[in-house]
Amino acid sequence: MNLPHYAYFTKNNYRDYEFYSEGPRGKVKKVVMFTKMQDDPLIYNLAFGDEDPETGVVSDLAITDNKDTGIVLATVANTINDFCDRYGNHYIFATGSTLARTRLYQINISAVLDEISIDFEILGSRDGVLHAFQKNVNYDSLLIKRK
Amino acid sequence: MSVIEKETVIKGPGRALISDKVRSHANDPFFVKKNAEAKEALSKIDLSGLKKK
Repeated sequence: MNLPHYAYFTKNNYRDYEFYSEGPRGKVKKVVMFTKMQDDPLIYNLAFGDEDPETGVVSDLAITDNKDTGIVLATVANTINDFCDRYGNHYIFATGSTLARTRLYQINISAVLDEISIDFEILGSRDGVLHAFQKNVNYDSLLIKRK
Repeated sequence: MSVIEKETVIKGPGRALISDKVRSHANDPFFVKKNAEAKEALSKIDLSGLKKK
């Protein structure tokens, strides 16, 4: 995957990642974590949020508005690659904190779907049913698996 | 609208840099809550087509 992204860092467990978004609102620390959810099928949850520089509290409700959503999501996609290198190509569950944010992620994925689809299978869940991800369709959540 | 070139943006394949400054968030209340929400959301999805046969 060759999408522009930020430099990102991990602990030696390859489950925790950090990087900095940069834009009109300054530098914002982003934190990504993968957690095993279940076996058969083996699914990990991908969660990420902003870390407050003063309190260290992580939240995904703040609107960063750093005009770099595409770069942020490409960086998160890169963390999936590193995670899969270490743990194997398993399903990764992802959803936004709100319907609007999930929709925003889908719009950004749609914009680079051809590029992402080279490396990843993307499924969208709608009313409890999984479908192959399609542009201009709203999903409740996503399941992503590296090919 | 002009495009701002960010020096910190990397083009090309990515690779994580290992840093001991990255802390574990395994017990962070935010991630504990997000994982609980994810578990509940997953429980409502029919995953039968993904299971090993």
